Amino acid sequence: MPTISLTVNGKPVSAEADTRQLLSVFLREQLGLTGTHIGCDTSQCGVCVIHVDGKAVKSCTMLALQADGADVTTIEGLASEGEMHPMQEAFRDHHALQCGFCTPGMVMMSVVLARDNPDLDDDAIRHGLEGNLCRCTGYQNIIHAVRAGAKAMKG
Amino acid sequence: MEKFGIGQGIRRHEDFRFLSGKGTYIDDITHDGMVHAVVVRSPHAHAKIVAIEAQSAMAMPGVLLIVTGEDWTREGFGTMPTKSAVQKKIDGTPLNQPPRHALAIDTARYVGEPVALVVAETEMQAVDAAEALDIDYDELDAVVDPVKALAPGAPQLWDDIPGNFCLDFELGDKDGTQAAFASADHVVSLAIENNRVTAVPLETRGAIASYDPETENYLLENATQNVHANRATFAGDVLNIPEEQLHHIAPDVGGGFGAKNSAYGEPALILYAAKRTGRPVKWINQRGESFLSDTHGRGQLSTVELALDKDGTFRALRTSTIGGIGCYCWTVGPFTPSGGAARTQGGPYNFPAMYYSSKVAFTNTAPMDPYRGAGRPEASFQTERIIDYAARTLGFDPVELRRRNLMTPDMLPRKTPMGLDVDSGNFPEVFDRTLAMSDRAGYRARVAASAEKGIRRGFAIAPYMECTGGGPKEFAGVDFGRDGTVTLRVGSQSTGMGHETSMPQILAAELGIDFDRVTYVQGDTEATPIGGGHGGSRNLEVGGNAVLQAAREITAKGKRIAAHLLNSNEDDIDFADGAFKDVKTGQSIAMDDVIEASFETGRLPEAMDPGCLDTGTVYEREIITIPNGCHAAEVEVDPETGAVRVERFWAVDDFGKIINPLLADGQVMGGVAQGLGQALLEEIVYDEDSGQLLTGSLMDYALPRADDLPEMKIAYFEDAPTAKNPLGVKGAGEAGCCGAPPAIVNAVIDALAPDGVRHIEMPLTPEKVWRAIASAR
Repeated sequence: MPTISLTVNGKPVSAEADTRQLLSVFLREQLGLTGTHIGCDTSQCGVCVIHVDGKAVKSCTMLALQADGADVTTIEGLASEGEMHPMQEAFRDHHALQCGFCTPGMVMMSVVLARDNPDLDDDAIRHGLEGNLCRCTGYQNIIHAVRAGAKAMKG
Repeated sequence: MEKFGIGQGIRRHEDFRFLSGKGTYIDDITHDGMVHAVVVRSPHAHAKIVAIEAQSAMAMPGVLLIVTGEDWTREGFGTMPTKSAVQKKIDGTPLNQPPRHALAIDTARYVGEPVALVVAETEMQAVDAAEALDIDYDELDAVVDPVKALAPGAPQLWDDIPGNFCLDFELGDKDGTQAAFASADHVVSLAIENNRVTAVPLETRGAIASYDPETENYLLENATQNVHANRATFAGDVLNIPEEQLHHIAPDVGGGFGAKNSAYGEPALILYAAKRTGRPVKWINQRGESFLSDTHGRGQLSTVELALDKDGTFRALRTSTIGGIGCYCWTVGPFTPSGGAARTQGGPYNFPAMYYSSKVAFTNTAPMDPYRGAGRPEASFQTERIIDYAARTLGFDPVELRRRNLMTPDMLPRKTPMGLDVDSGNFPEVFDRTLAMSDRAGYRARVAASAEKGIRRGFAIAPYMECTGGGPKEFAGVDFGRDGTVTLRVGSQSTGMGHETSMPQILAAELGIDFDRVTYVQGDTEATPIGGGHGGSRNLEVGGNAVLQAAREITAKGKRIAAHLLNSNEDDIDFADGAFKDVKTGQSIAMDDVIEASFETGRLPEAMDPGCLDTGTVYEREIITIPNGCHAAEVEVDPETGAVRVERFWAVDDFGKIINPLLADGQVMGGVAQGLGQALLEEIVYDEDSGQLLTGSLMDYALPRADDLPEMKIAYFEDAPTAKNPLGVKGAGEAGCCGAPPAIVNAVIDALAPDGVRHIEMPLTPEKVWRAIASAR
């Protein structure tokens, strides 16, 4: 098996990756980062969204080998020094999660949406989260959380 | 110290874990030496399994075990019986129940039915070997439509069950209803289909089984909603071992909505595989497999009839339903189209007479079991659609026709003609509040604004009345630690609803202790002696009252300790706000001090031992509660494309006492979203000839996405308390699925009424809406 080297949550890592292994599976199985979930087999659900070189990416749409040399952030790397990221705080404050399974992908997507467009309105949030399914919340509290999280990120 | 009371929107305990990626779902768990299982599923809807050639697959790298129906028969494992609350046909004989094994023994009867299990060192090795497994099938004719399944000449699924007939069922006053129909001024009748859908929790089903040869004990970690009931099935019915030998745990579960209630075959298969291989065995469903093999719900074809007087007063309601349940009775499959859909027929309306009858058929499809509401959403939809249809065809105002026929508070308590015990509620008030919230005054202007864009706008209001269900008993245990910790153990189960917050909230409020001190334990057969799991909006109603009962037993014991410490009479001790007070002397002692004293022999009265505050109790519901409310929707329909947008949505719900409004909102919003999904987007479709599932992925089965939903406005009505349980709660989980579909569908019909459209079957896809407009013109 080939070995790949990349930066994950700020730390350099090297690990073997099967040639047909998806990045989502690599993160979970080789690196033990199980916060990145897997919810489908057709890249529809978005529960595996992570950041690759600053972009929000469904990690099931990349082979692990394609991440060689990349800078990856997962949900585990979002908080810094024990402080929750403002988007994580906003999700809790607005009850924007129930079973929690879509939550890591939803938060990672929302952080990029808010970073790229600090003046997000509700329509932009709803449109921006189209690739992230949630079966529990009806999305409403997620919209409220992203609105508040984006505001908090602006500072 | 923060004190939180009942009724406050406390932020959730569990969120830190979930938000930081530290949740522990089944696929996040690994064990030393763990191996992987893949289920080989039938590619045919109906086929004889002629032969399974396993030798070459067994020889592939890493393969440890292949289990087939032949192995299962040889081992003598038992079948999984149905626990349906309805067990008899109308003639009193037992329902027809085919034997359900964990996998197909000699015939596969739906696409996706487990036919073999392959276990290998790695998941990839298991997948490769599963693909290589050589199975010789002899295809048979299949039938997926329940009406066709019951018709003469249909392919027969079971040799000893003629006509694919499971059971028939009736409830209500047949003759009285007939008489009311005969003498009514108006009778309307409509065929209504309640589309077959599936829950799609975002975490697929999966489990890990381990076996200890020394103790002969099994451990099953399982993404399930109901560890106790399913342990009884796996241990008692299948493996034939004492229940104590199977420790069943549910870790964090990523949604359920009914689809994780059942005892499925796969966990039984991997329990066996764990014993055979001597290794922990993990199985995780792929999403495609979940569409094939998760239980589906709804899927009822009904003829609904309404009898009215000239002035619009309802005289009687009659519903006749055919429901398919797949090829087995599964766990409670026969109940939904029989008792489940019957009980809440007629909703909150004053019907002098009602009659419900149904026939339940076996079909070559995935099994049917509860999906969020399990019969009540069907009843609500049938009732609301026929009322709407009556209003349209007879010329009544749909809002007024509903309003005038609602049960009024002076009629309560009453037993409905379907035997439902309605003790409390104020249906007209809830209706009026919903109307007031929905800005009827501004409606005409909004219709005009839509019309400017060439868009039709419609409105509908849908009062609903449902009931709780699920296991009637629940255990709550409270353990106090010397370090000040409090552990609360309950046998109900959260799959996202927030029990880790709402249940400690009740305990902390009752005991007057800090909410953050309470650690919550659930989903573990060793943590609680019994448990009813999740289902039927039962948690607060049964589990919450168990917690309340435990808290009251603790304060009763606390009074004795306090009296001892204060040199008082126990009868003079009052407990309030976390302190025991002697009402005569005014002396008081805090709960925390009493807890501390409970560990010290010298500070306890005689006959009380250290640790005496630890409490375990079982609460049993006497009678199910009646959640009710009123939902309303405003929609826009583009007549050129048939596209529907739900523009506005309002809900006023009577869930009794609201324990945590934040969590209650979450239940309403999520339920409405699933209701909207059923109304506009979701449908399980099988090919009529081949029996293949045509909606087997998230590319074919449309779930609601963030931009499919409007901003909902939600309010609660708490002025009609129930005395059916001490907490005064009525249940919140399934209301959205009862209210949203009729509100949305009837709003679309309202929008298209000028075009002459009277009915469209769910889901209201653009194509169906467009065709309805085109054919009405």
